[in-house]
Formats: sequence, structure tokens, C-alpha cells
Amino acid sequence: MISATNVSRWYGQVIGLNDITCEIGPGITALLGMNGAGKTTLIRLITGQLRPTTGDLRVFGEEPFANTNVYRRLGYCPEIDNFYEHYSGRDFVRFLARLDGLSSTEAKTRTEQVLEMVGMADRAGKRIAGYSKGMRQRIKLAQAMLHNPDIIVLDEPLNGLDPVGRREFIDILGALAEQGKAILVSSHILFEVEQMTRSLLLLHRGRLLATGDLGVIRSLIDKHPHQIRIETVEPRKAAALLASLPNIVSMKFDRLGESIQLEVREPDSFYDALQTAVLEQGLEVRGISSPDNNLESVFKYLVEA
Amino acid sequence: MAASPIADLSYRNYDGPLDPPVNRWWAIAKMSMKLSTKKRGFWVWASMSAYWYLILLAIFYFMDQSAQATTALGQQNPLFKAIEWKGQFINAFSVSQLFMFILALMLGAGTIANDNRANALLVYLSKPCSKLDYVIGKWLGIFIPMTLVVGAPTLVFYFYCLLSYRSYGFVSQDPWLIVRLCGMVLIPGFFHASASLGISSLFQQGRLAGATYAGFYFFGLFFTKAMQVIVSVDNMNAINGNGPGAPTIVKNLYYCSVDGIQEALAKIFLNTDGSPLLPIQGPGGLQRVGIVSQPSGWVFIPAFFAICGLFMLLAWSRIRAVEVVG
Amino acid sequence: MIIASVNNLVVRYGRFTALNGLSCEIPEGCTGLLGPNGAGKTTLLKTILGFVKPTSGTATIMGMDIIEAGTAIRQKVGLMPEQDCHIPGMTAVQFVAYAGELAGMPASQALRRSHEVLDYCGLGEARYRNVETYSTGMKQRIKLAQALVHGPKLLLLDEPTNGLDPAGREDMLELVRSVSHGKGLNVLVSSHLLPDIERVCDRVIVVMKGQLRAQGTIKDLKKIEGRPIDVELREVCPAFVAGMQATGANVMLPKRTTYRIQMAGLPEEAAKVAMQVAKDTGAQIRGFVQAERSLEDAFMDAISTSGPPPVAAADGGNS
Repeated sequence: MISATNVSRWYGQVIGLNDITCEIGPGITALLGMNGAGKTTLIRLITGQLRPTTGDLRVFGEEPFANTNVYRRLGYCPEIDNFYEHYSGRDFVRFLARLDGLSSTEAKTRTEQVLEMVGMADRAGKRIAGYSKGMRQRIKLAQAMLHNPDIIVLDEPLNGLDPVGRREFIDILGALAEQGKAILVSSHILFEVEQMTRSLLLLHRGRLLATGDLGVIRSLIDKHPHQIRIETVEPRKAAALLASLPNIVSMKFDRLGESIQLEVREPDSFYDALQTAVLEQGLEVRGISSPDNNLESVFKYLVEA
Repeated sequence: MAASPIADLSYRNYDGPLDPPVNRWWAIAKMSMKLSTKKRGFWVWASMSAYWYLILLAIFYFMDQSAQATTALGQQNPLFKAIEWKGQFINAFSVSQLFMFILALMLGAGTIANDNRANALLVYLSKPCSKLDYVIGKWLGIFIPMTLVVGAPTLVFYFYCLLSYRSYGFVSQDPWLIVRLCGMVLIPGFFHASASLGISSLFQQGRLAGATYAGFYFFGLFFTKAMQVIVSVDNMNAINGNGPGAPTIVKNLYYCSVDGIQEALAKIFLNTDGSPLLPIQGPGGLQRVGIVSQPSGWVFIPAFFAICGLFMLLAWSRIRAVEVVG
Repeated sequence: MIIASVNNLVVRYGRFTALNGLSCEIPEGCTGLLGPNGAGKTTLLKTILGFVKPTSGTATIMGMDIIEAGTAIRQKVGLMPEQDCHIPGMTAVQFVAYAGELAGMPASQALRRSHEVLDYCGLGEARYRNVETYSTGMKQRIKLAQALVHGPKLLLLDEPTNGLDPAGREDMLELVRSVSHGKGLNVLVSSHLLPDIERVCDRVIVVMKGQLRAQGTIKDLKKIEGRPIDVELREVCPAFVAGMQATGANVMLPKRTTYRIQMAGLPEEAAKVAMQVAKDTGAQIRGFVQAERSLEDAFMDAISTSGPPPVAAADGGNS
């Protein structure tokens, strides 16, 4: 639905995006990167606020800049927090619904639907000036969903939400994704992103660092072999039994003598060997885990490379 | 414990000496002054505010020189004989008022407003620093620089005249002049500090606070100028025998503005009605038409302190740690 | 030792009751303060600092009463607020030294200490630049520095990783962890990001609707009854499930390829049993860990139960 081909955008001398080529389809995609990596620039390009300096960005096959055809099917939930503070939440959303082109009655019903979906139906009567951060985020999502867009772009949507609110928000996004919409979420809170999706788009200093499934990306990071941690009361014995495997890169004993941490290439054969060690060679094992098989580690490895 | 050759540079606690609470407001005042005097504009306006004294010095010098040629030996310089010295100080004071106001905007408009916007009050109030310390510190941070800017040229001019024009009645006109002057120079700082704090605490942006104060100021200015015109006309009529002089109420209204009330107190402290702007014109007659006599001390001194007090109360009530919606 | 003791604290803003009879004890060490939005976390912090006066109830911080000894308390407490709070027009060194002077340090000591604390917080040459030019990460460090400069014994952190990217978040959490463990500084962290709290704190206090909901060590809160084990396979394998059930274990399927299994016996024996079943059914075990509730789940459970607030299991009263 969104496709970028060699897209670059710079501001004077400062580079925002440098030669990005990617595709974003239905489902939730996470847009990750350090501060200043170009996430906001990419979002602005997709939502049609900027034009790429070079390259070709197409949303639904058309250029999104000042293109009402695209806007009609795109919803945007920005990071900034500016509203008409004296409006109530309900009035604000209804006002935007009217701006979307809905008739007065349609706007009213749609507003109620959308407020119900984000869980603000009972609290939307109060003025926005008195809202907490979480309530503001929900109103922002509500206005993004009004015209039932096919793409929703969210910039730091989970900021300021308490854990309950975050869960609900993620559920809403999940439900929307299942309807076939493309949801692009930009966030720093990696453990939340992990719960939402495994499909990533990672930017670093304006360049595209990685895109695709988390698991696939992890397995391709050659420089950092998989870390596997085995908890056992006999770490030295474990070391002795496993050291002969060719795909073990390093072994570390922890200070308390309760576990051994290994770095392994091609973990598949390793796990089989481990099974043999436990069943046939009498290794006593309490726990097996992979400490770096999560988004945060993958992010760190990719960025520091 | 044997001393290790490698120093431990990790975090350590602070167990050093602590100053008693009385120094907190001084720290705040010092910082306010440091921040404001760093601005270049401060020095420009501060030095320009004393320009009337320079003009007076030039006028007196030429009066002195020209009179020497025409006065007979042993006689006093007739031009100088007619000068009311206190009036000169009042005039210089009045002329500097606009500059003082600009300085007040520079020093004071942003004080609390900027802290509001930057949530700096959280820092102040989360330390063992009370609201009183904060208010006193900010107040002094405006009062002290302004008083110095008003006081330095005044005192320099006073001592110059003391040394040069004693024979012309400088001291004999009022031996307590120096004491009165010391009181007079405190007035602008006192008023502007209080008013700036009060108005600044209402806003989140220094610019809005400044604009409000400026609106307040200029509105009063036009009002008092109008009153002055009425007084002039009435006095003119009185001189021509066409009616009584200006009524007291108009005279009092003349003093009802930011500049006016400071002028009122200055006149009261110096115990004078003021003089024509150019000292060459003697007292009495047409030259005094535009001069408004000093108002009643019983009314204006309490009014002055009441207004300053109100502003400070306003500031006090508006200062609180920022509400966090959570 | 108890750092803070709160007894039936009631705080009202006009008609809105923010704290409704909150009673809790904060021990030494690093404690997390959790709760949904509007539960009263920020109000509790503000009451400790003396920004708001309680309607009723008492609280003592390090033995000092909050109403009578407000100034003395603030001498020993440092606050790192959630919002940006720097004073415009100053450099970092000036700002932190100023904060020290406000806390009563003599000017020379304040400057010296300011440099020391900025070293600790990892701010290099940038400390001589105007604070307004800083990035979010640097601003957070200055906030922490101004809270530490006067050597407090209790540090209050409100969303310390707000706005930080993953690298910045890790640095900040490392800082907080190192200052709280081994330096004698007690820390109270209020945050919505539960993994951050998990990383830094040992205990948590859960507040909801102005009352205490739960408190205890994180380990205790995350324990699951019966101590089941999460077994992760390479791929989904129903035969494995059947095999495990045949050995008498109780199998549940939480997520994709991970099965939560209740087995009898020590973990080592359970591992052997599981490995055997895996070998027999052609599955490959890639993970074998004691199942824990995530802190988030524990938190959700704590706030969703209705009725009288449950207080979590035995923590012995000492940290």
C-alpha cells in the first residue's frame, strides 16, 4: 500500500532520509530508530506534508503530497499534542468528522462509534484542557479513525498511557490490523512494540537499516552469535560436554557459578547436542533461555554495527 | 583501610557545610541579577536613563560661563539665583521614568512568567527553599539593579553640585536633600519590582506579561498627560484672572498612573512642587503653568504601598508548583 | 529500615479526592510506585515534598513529619520531575550549581559538587553549553543531576525515561540502578513502563484510586502458584503436548511455540522428562524457564480485583 523507491529528503545541509526503499503492507509495522533517525521525516512524507527531494514515494499508487484521494484513505495520529482546548472531546471529534465531509447526522453517529472504540464514550463530554495524556492519545486515535481509513500512521501513540491504557490501545490497533488495514506505529518503547508486531522498519541516521520479520532479522545478524544461557549447578561439566561443538563461539561462566552463557552460531544443531548431553551424558540442567532474542537486543546490535 | 592507588570516582554523597536558610533568597537574587545584567540592552538603556543629568550639567556650565561675562563683581549670578535645585532632581527623575519602565520590562516581565513556562518552580520548590525566599529573591533581583541605575547618576550629580554650586544655595535650600534623595531613588525599584512580579506571575510567557504592563503604563501615561493639559489651561486661566486654578481632583488624577504615582512620591519625599524643565526659566508666572503641585502625602504614600502590596499578594497567590495531570 | 511511613493520608483538591486514606511503608532501597493514571502517584510525590497539604492523616519521611518539618525533608529529598524544568539562559553547570545553592550549599561547594554530579551523570564538555540546546537525553541527565547535587537520602523519580530512545533509556536505567544499589541512596520511581521498574527496583507499591492496592518484592509478585515451567519449542508440536500429558503433567498454551507446563519434581528432573518427551516426539526444546508472571500481568491483576485491597505475600518486613 505504501511503497518508497530511493526516497531521500534533506533540509538544507541536514539529511532527513537517505535513499530509502521499502514497502509497507497490511498489518502492523513498527517504525523504529534512535532520535533523529528520520522517523518523523518518513511519516511526514507518507502523510503528504512533505515532498521527497529525490526518489518516488507512492501511497495507493499515487503521490501523497496534497492529494485528497490519498488523504481520504489515510489517518494520522501525530505526536504533538495541540487541540482546541476549550472544546470537549466529543465536539472536537465531531468537528473533525464534519471536516472529513460527513453530514451532520453521519458525523454524530460516527463520532459515537469511534469514541466507543477508543473507550472514551463516557468521558468525552469534558473539556480537553482537563484531559490527562492518556485521554488525549485516545482522542487523537479517534480522530484518525473517523473516516475509516485504510492506512493509519501513529507517531508515539503509547506515550503517557498507563499499562491498562496501553493494553487497550494495542488491542484496538490489533483489531484494526485484522480488518486489513496497514498500521504504521513509530515508538521507542520496544517491549510494547514487541507485543504488537514482529514486522519492523528500522531507520538509522536517515538510512534504512533493516526491514522485515524480527526472527528473520535476528537470525541474519552474523556478527552477534546467538546468546544461550544454561542454568545448571555444574557449569564446568556443561562446558566440558559442549565445548567440542564447532558452532560454539564463546563460553562465559557467571560469578555465582550457577549458569553458563554461550555464544552459538547455527543454534539448531546446538540444541540437539544439548538434548543429547542431558539425556545421555547426565547433564543436570535447570533452565535454558536466549537472553538476546528480543527486540531490544536486536535493535542494539543493528544500531551499534 | 589502606589507601588504594586508584581513586574511587563513583558517586558519593554530599556531607559538606550547608548555609542557613537566610541565604537562599540571596542566591536567587544574585542569579536574577546575573541573568539580567548579561543582556546588552540593559546597559544601553541604563546609561541612557541618566541623559537629563548630562543635559543639566551642560546647561549649568553654559549658564555659569555666560553669567560670568555679564554679572558685576560681587554679585550673584541672576540665572542661578532663580533655580530651585530640588526641582532639577524631580525633572531628571521624570525624564528617566520611561527608561526605567523599559528596564523594568527587561528585568521583570519575564521573571516569573519564564519560570512558569519552563516549570522551573518545580526545581525551586522541591528544594528547601520556601515561597517567601523565592518571592523576596526575585523582588530583590529587580529592585537592586534598578535602584543602582537610578541612584548612581543622581548621587554623582548631587556631589558635583555640592562641590560646584554651594554658593548658589545648593545646600542652603535644603540641608536634608541628600537624605531625601536617598529615599527618592528607592521609589522606581520598589514600584517596578512589585508590579513586574505581580503581572509576570499571571502569565506563561514573558512577552505577554511585558505587553500587559506596557499597555497599563501607556494608558496611564495618556491619561495623565490629558490631566496635565487641563491643569495647564486652568492655571493659565487663573493667571489671567479667569477663574480659580486647577481643582485638586484633577491634580490628584494627574498622579494616577505608573509614572504619576512615582512622581507623586518623589515630590513628597523632596517636599517640592517641581520646576520648569529648563532651569533658565525662573519660578512664577507663565513658566509654572504646566507644573502640578505636590499631592497630599497622607493619600499617596499609603496608596503607593497598598498598590505595591496588592501586586505582591497577586504574585504570592499565583506561585505554586505546576499542576501535573496524572 | 523504613524510609517513609504514610498513615491514612487523605488529600483533596477541591471536591476531588486524590488520596483516599493511603497507608503504606516504603523501605530502604529502590521501590517502584505503580498505578493507573489518576491513581494518586503524583499526588503522593507532591505531598511528600510539601507542595500540597493533606486534609488528614500523617506521613513521616525519614522520621520527619511532612507538615512540621517540610524544609528539613526537602533538604534530604531530591526530585527529578517528569516535565522539563531547566531555567532558560543558563549552562548546565550554572543550573546544577544554582540548584545546589538553593538547597543551601555555599557557592563554591555548589560549583564543585555540580561538576562532580555532572561527571557522574555522563555529561561531558556539553555542560558549558546553554541548556536550551540540549537533546532530550541530556535534559534528562541534568534533571537527575539537579536532584542529586545536594546529596539527598531519598530520590524521587517521575518517569525518568520519558522521551528517551532505547540507548538513552538503557543509560538512564543504568545510572539509576548504580546510584540506588551500593551508594546508600533510596529511590522511589514512579513510572508506567513496567520493564523499566523491573530493571531498577526491588520492590513495588501499587496505588489505585488513592489507596494502596498491593505491595511487595517484585520477585514475590511475579511468582505463579505451583511454579510451572515455560517450555519453548522450535515449532508447534501437538505430539509433544500429548507426550507431556501422558507423563501426568498439566499443559497450557500461552503463546505460539511456548507451553506452560505444570510438572512435579525438581527443575532438573522436569528438564530430563521434557527432553525425553521431546526426543521421542521429534520436537526440539529451545527454552526451559521457570514461568513468571510479567510485572505487567501482576499489576493488571492487582488493580482489577475489586473488594478490599489485597496486600501481597510475606516479604518479611526487611529488604
